[in-house]
Amino acid sequence: MSDFEPVVVAFLCNWCSYAGADLAGTSRLKYPPNVRSIRVMCSGRVDPVFVLDALKEGIDGVLVAGCHPGDCHYQSGNYKTNRKMKLIQRLLKDLNMDPRRVRFDYISASEGQKFADVVTEFVQTLKELGPNPLKGECQ
Amino acid sequence: MTEHILPVGKGGASGAVNDFLKGLLSSGKVKAVLALQTTPNGRSAFPVLVSDPDKMRSDVFTPLMPVSTATILSRITKTRGSDDPIAAIMRNCELRALTELFKLKQADPANLVLIGVDCPGTFDLNTYSNFPGDKDISSAVLDPKEREKFLRSACRSCADPIPGRADIVIGTFGMDLEKGILVSGKTEAGQALLEGMGLDAFKDDGSREKAVSEVREAADRSREKHIAEHSDIKGSGKIADFFESCINCHNCMKACPICYCKECLFDSAVFNMEAHKYVSKAGSKGSFKTPTDTLLFHITRFNHMILSCVQCGLCEQACPANIPLMDIIIPIAQNAQKEFEYIPGRDLEDQLPMIFYKEEEFESVGDH
Repeated sequence: MSDFEPVVVAFLCNWCSYAGADLAGTSRLKYPPNVRSIRVMCSGRVDPVFVLDALKEGIDGVLVAGCHPGDCHYQSGNYKTNRKMKLIQRLLKDLNMDPRRVRFDYISASEGQKFADVVTEFVQTLKELGPNPLKGECQ
Repeated sequence: MTEHILPVGKGGASGAVNDFLKGLLSSGKVKAVLALQTTPNGRSAFPVLVSDPDKMRSDVFTPLMPVSTATILSRITKTRGSDDPIAAIMRNCELRALTELFKLKQADPANLVLIGVDCPGTFDLNTYSNFPGDKDISSAVLDPKEREKFLRSACRSCADPIPGRADIVIGTFGMDLEKGILVSGKTEAGQALLEGMGLDAFKDDGSREKAVSEVREAADRSREKHIAEHSDIKGSGKIADFFESCINCHNCMKACPICYCKECLFDSAVFNMEAHKYVSKAGSKGSFKTPTDTLLFHITRFNHMILSCVQCGLCEQACPANIPLMDIIIPIAQNAQKEFEYIPGRDLEDQLPMIFYKEEEFESVGDH
């Protein structure tokens, strides 16, 4: 599977994680180019159906990143998202799809290095998992 | 808590309950009663809201649940709570669903008096309406062995057939139904209703308690068996197979007491695309099954309702393609509810897991 390049969709919150990703870029940090970033105003905007739809369409992994606990621009969006992602992972586990395909993390505006690390690690995990089994299926 | 005995006369157990409800209405303590009543031709039964004591013809032990009374009460009280007391006769799964609807602000508890009845289980709609002519349905209901053959799978694996959050509980398990039925007032409102009805006090000889624990143990056993029998429906391929005959009618969602959205996301135009996008999708995947998004619909529906799922099985009963939904809903609901340490319908004070959070649970960042 060494030539397999997973496709990752990343939902990044406007106030922290997107700025963190920006910092990774302006700091010229290296990380795998597998990520397609989507900026959302808050990680709380990420409806679980976005994640499920991405997986159904054959995306290999979905990364959701928000502000650190206590830092949410809207007070509690990140806390609630963590719960929502936990529920999705639980459902995936029961449907025997690997819950590691969905990842939630806290990345602040100053953590360019953390963004690069999280993406590198996530892409590595997805390479080990192989392609999304729903890829190519016509559901 | 006060416990009384409801005397059983010629009309049998359901006649005794009917007389009791009639009494409530004529005393003026409640303005209306919502109770299960068989249809004139006897092929079905529905909750009927009765305000005239002379028209009280309930048959609360009919083994049928075509709709959840919780859904009906949501419809009745959602726009505005009741000004007058309404008594509603409900099974435990309906009571639990209603509690969830209260939390979701889809029903108003004002002036509702909830009367729970012990539930020995219900039959599938078609089983009931096509019941073999040579068999007597009422004796099939009373005989535990006979009943077992006809029960819906949700009822066979019922989480708890004994009413929990109710003002009054009508108990049949462990009672000699030819003599009397247990009526207990669980809350102040319930006790106030029972006062002055001239009912004898219940003499506890332990048989009620014993029967209740036996019923619960039997339900637990059959649940475990059910989960073990269906543990093989896993994996994305098998899940797709499981839903392969789904016609995307959304009946499961409409029958579900928890699915309350006025317009479901999947009934909206959100997933509609221009023709060229369908064609290009078919091009990229080689083929494209229609109707689209059946699998996404089911997984998203689980994501929305599974934590509040009371496992009443109305989704399965409503499915025209006969998909045995409870085969996967029971284990999925059990696991998800365990993970969030949440028991739906247990207590109004238990907060819905998706609307609250604990700050301390985020100490271990990214730890899943």
